[in-house]
Order: sequence, then C-alpha cells, then structure tokens
Amino acid sequence: MTTAVDLHDVQAIVLRPRPEPYFGTHLFLHIDDARGGRELLRRLAPHVASAADWENAGDDQIAVAISYPGLVALGVPEDSLRSFPEAFRVGMAARAEKLRDYGANDPKNWEPPFGSGQIHIQVSIVSDAEDKWRSAMETAQRQVQGLSGVTVLLSQDFGAQPGSLNSLGYKDGIGQPAIEGSGVEPLPGQGQPINAGEFILGYPGEAGVPLAMPQPDVLGRNGTYVGLRKYQSRVGAFNRFLKENGQTLEDRELLAAKLVGRWRSGAPLTLVPAKDDPALGEDPRRNNDFTYASDPQGKQVPLGCHMRRMNPRDTKMAVLTDVNVHRIIRRSTTYGAPYDPNAISEQDDERARGIYFLCISAKVMNTLEFLQQAWINDGGFMNLADERDPLVGLQEEGSTFSIPKKQVRRRIHGIETFNVLRGGEYLFMPSLSALKWLADGTGRHG
Amino acid sequence: MTTQTKVKRGSEQSSDLEQKVQKLRELYADAPEIGKAALENVIRALQSAAPAKGPEARSGSAGRIGRRQGKVSELTVLVPLAPGGARRLRGFLEALHGSIGNELVDMVGTVHDMRFVFLDNDTKLLFCTAYDGDWDVYIEDFATKIPDILDLQFGDTEGWPGVRSPKVKDHIASHQITAAFWYVANPGLTVVETKRLERIGKATEEFLDKIS
Repeated sequence: MTTAVDLHDVQAIVLRPRPEPYFGTHLFLHIDDARGGRELLRRLAPHVASAADWENAGDDQIAVAISYPGLVALGVPEDSLRSFPEAFRVGMAARAEKLRDYGANDPKNWEPPFGSGQIHIQVSIVSDAEDKWRSAMETAQRQVQGLSGVTVLLSQDFGAQPGSLNSLGYKDGIGQPAIEGSGVEPLPGQGQPINAGEFILGYPGEAGVPLAMPQPDVLGRNGTYVGLRKYQSRVGAFNRFLKENGQTLEDRELLAAKLVGRWRSGAPLTLVPAKDDPALGEDPRRNNDFTYASDPQGKQVPLGCHMRRMNPRDTKMAVLTDVNVHRIIRRSTTYGAPYDPNAISEQDDERARGIYFLCISAKVMNTLEFLQQAWINDGGFMNLADERDPLVGLQEEGSTFSIPKKQVRRRIHGIETFNVLRGGEYLFMPSLSALKWLADGTGRHG
Repeated sequence: MTTQTKVKRGSEQSSDLEQKVQKLRELYADAPEIGKAALENVIRALQSAAPAKGPEARSGSAGRIGRRQGKVSELTVLVPLAPGGARRLRGFLEALHGSIGNELVDMVGTVHDMRFVFLDNDTKLLFCTAYDGDWDVYIEDFATKIPDILDLQFGDTEGWPGVRSPKVKDHIASHQITAAFWYVANPGLTVVETKRLERIGKATEEFLDKIS
C-alpha cells in the first residue's frame, strides 16, 4: 500500500538530494524575543523550498529547523511543548551518555555555541553554483537584517571543492534510503522503498503505524527531526595511519577504501575490489547497485567498514536487526580546508576542516542513539567484539580494525579517532504549514 | 580515637570502608543475634582483605530504567494478568518451549536468559531477563521482526498496547522495577561475544590437536 507524501508541505532538504557540486551556509540563530523570532519565520517561510518541485533540484534551497529551546522562545504553548519526545527536549548534549559521546567527543569539549541551549534556529542555504548560493544568502540575510529580537550566533560556510570530496578526501552522500511515496524512482541498489513514516511524521512507519507526533497535527504532520553533528577531521592522524599501515600509494589507497567500503571516487569495493574506477564512482545508477550476497565474510567490503556498518543490507548479523528501521537520510556538508593527502602533522589535525553532518528521520533521536551504541561504537552485531566504526567511531587506546582476507585476517592496531565531535544539536524541521503556524503564533497563550 | 588515627594515616578507601562498617553496625543494631554475629565476621574479613581494585566494568543504568553491569543489563517486570491470561500464556510457553521459541530467542542475539513466573494465584506475571545493552535500543527491531511473538508473550498482561504501538516503551517502563542489586560474573561478555569465544575455543583446540 502506498501513501503519497504531501510533497508540497515537506521541506526540500528532506527528500531532495544535496546538489553536486554544492555551496552553502549554515546560520545558527538565537531568538531574543518571541515576536522577533516569529517575524523571522514569517519572512523566511515563502523562501523555504518544498520537496514538490523535483525539476528544480539543484536550485538554491533554504531550510529551517528549530531546537526545543527555540520552540520555547517562540512561545509555543505548553501542551505542544510537552508532546515532543524527551530526548529532543533535553537536547543532544544532555544525551551524551546514550550517544556514547565520551572523552574527546564529550559535550564539554564542544565549540560554542553548540550544546549550550543558545541555538534556537538553524537556517541552511545550499545551492549547486556559487552565484546562486550568494543570491540565496542575500535573500536570507535580507530577512534577518533590521530585525530586532534575533541574533546570529554563527555563520558557517560550507562546500566541498574540488571534486565534491569530503574532508578526508572521499566522495560522500552515496546510498540514501529509498522512501515510499516520495515521488522518486529508487536508484538501482537502493532496495525496497522504506515506509515514509520512518522519515516524515504523520505516515505509517515500518511497523505499519505512524510514530508519535508533536501536537497539534498542523505542527507535527509533514515535519521531521534533524540530528546535527559537527565533526573536526583529524587529517594528520588519518594520513599517518594510512602511511604507517601501507607501504606504497596503492596499499594506502586500498586501505583507505577498506575503511569506508568505497574507493575515494565512491566506487564500491564489491564491484571493483582491486582498483578504483572513477567513472563507476561518478555514476549514481551503478555506484550503489550491489548486495553482500557474494561477500558474506567481508573479504571485499570489510564487515566493520563505515559503509557496511551504516547499511548492512543483506549481511547476516549476529543480532536480530531490521535494517530498514535504522536508516537515516544523510545531508553531509563539508567545511574548511580541502583534504590534503600530504598533511601529516598534529597541527593538521586541528586545522579547521570537517563535516557538518545532518541526519534526518522522524525518530532521529532514537536512531542516532541506536547507531552510536550498536553500529558505531561497538562491533558485536558484526561479530567484531569491541571494534568501532573507523570513520566516526570514538576509538579507545589500542583499538583495532580488522580486514578479512583469503587466509588470515589482517588486524591493524592503533586506529585513532579520525573525526572528533565538536558540536551537536537536535532540531525539529517543521513542514511549510507548521512554519506558518509557528510564525502566526497560533494557539499561543495570551 | 583509634579509628580517627587510622583514617588520617590510611587511604580514602579505608575511610570509606570505616564509614560503611559504621553504617552497617547501626543498621544491624536491632537485628537477630545470628545476623549480628554474621555481620561482625564479615566486617573482620572485609578489614583484613586487600583493598579492592576499582570496578572494571561501567556499572549504572540500563537506559531509563533497570541496572547494568558492564554490557549486561537486567529487566524485571511485575504486571497484572488479564483473566485467563496465565492459562493461555502458560500453554503458549509450553508449546514453544525447546523448539521454535528458543530458536527465536537465539536469533535475537542479545538475550542471556528469560524467566516467566506466575504469582498470586495466576493473577500476576513476573518477567525477568538479562540482556545486552540498553533495553529500548532494539525494540523497533522487535516490533517489525517478531511482533507476534512479543504480542503473544505479553498480550495477556493488563494494558498491553501492542509492540507496534508508539506507547509500548512507556508501558513497559511503567511496570518495570529496578533491581536493588545486580551481579554479573562476566560483565564484558555479550551473548554474541560468548558464542564467538566458544567457537574460537573449539577451533583452537582442533588446531592444537592437529599440530601436536
């Protein structure tokens, strides 16, 4: 049974893929008084793109998301506030224990303003061309300018250039979940479409019923949640790891591919296990078209690599798991200096460079906690004991990464944390009608 | 006075112990003689024992309710049964015992053990289990993968909303009682890891057989 999603009411960023190449800015705003906050939403609302116009994919997009303190600051009525899930209300920093954000990733090491409760609204502007991005930025800035009651806390430009590679030098964003009723044909290898309710509030999820939704309906329906994670890429540590464990450039590139499951170009090891194939990596109709049926032991794509952990597909797992209920829509945005293969110093680890990772789902707090606990900072589900995700796992002293081989597996000792968490927020991404509802202050007391 | 000198010279740990001893003596002041005598024996043993090493495993909460030691958590639920519920549930458990039921639990891969106990003339169910990780992490997987088994196991308890319901977590938590004490012999061993070590142990012995 297909339930058509009301695409005109869903924000574009939820269902429309990130353009490539991409240019953009994240603005983090604080609402000083409710009237100013509502006025900002009223001005922004007409510019927020909907998911309906697929032919416009690549045009400038403006997306708006609001944190729980932001909803409070907007004067949303008490009974509405109470209808949001606990994890969202307390915020990502307060859930550090559940997210395994310890040590280097501990919220006390985050950069301001993250985790302080100061971030109320995130506005993301993204475009496929520099000039379009600039004009969209001007549009957004015009709405903020001369508006009292709203303060810009942080403005972060992003964009991966050249070649759309991320901060560790990989093409990313491949392999998104296919969503039922989203009006797009799944790409080869995306698998059966997943019920829309997993990603958008108000529709049946995989269990056949809609997830709990914020009230009233106009506020919750067609909305979703965003988990924002700001990662600093420790490029020096990453390159040192490749250098110490690979003799030749070919060895190092194969090791880099084994960590992710894909070559730098995006070409999957399942299809090209021996050598990168940039044309394959480039082709969305081919670069995700595979299963693990012929690679149950991970001799091509290691069981513990990033791609296989985040979407095990048909891998036989040690723990009863429904892959479809743990998928997320990923909107990765790379910021800072481009990846430099020659950077190997410790200073390079701290050079501003990394990823603002946005994951989107109708239950993103649950999903992120699941991923952090079970698929990222543990290896049990893949029979890998305590091994962790090589890209976003928090590695402890003496951590290992196993590469299954024909004879005896190779176990590399001393893998470090390559992406350190420097900030995070849970945000609610309202539908277009909810944005208007919030701007009007409907239902507000007094 | 002797105690005070000891505290000053000793480590923080021994002062900790003295405080505990004092608390226990106060607590047992009105205990039966057998209890009092046993406590004094235990205190002597504690005082002469080597200072305890810090706990190896992280001990704490198993998510929002229940206790955890290392990777292993406990869940204890006491819930009223619907009329006739005990008879049905008993029959269901017996029918599945040792066959498909156990296979299904094996498949889950995070459950160490489970017990179903009927109390108060079959009007209440006591359900206890030891499992890996936080209790609610895999509940969505259960809801889509084995919903019928869970609805049969708990459908006869009062107010069960169905495992697919968004309210199921709140419902379970509302009947859950956190254990006062939770001991785990191997806090670092999950069900999956135990099975893996079992396989490795066997393979190692076979290997040694071959080369000896």
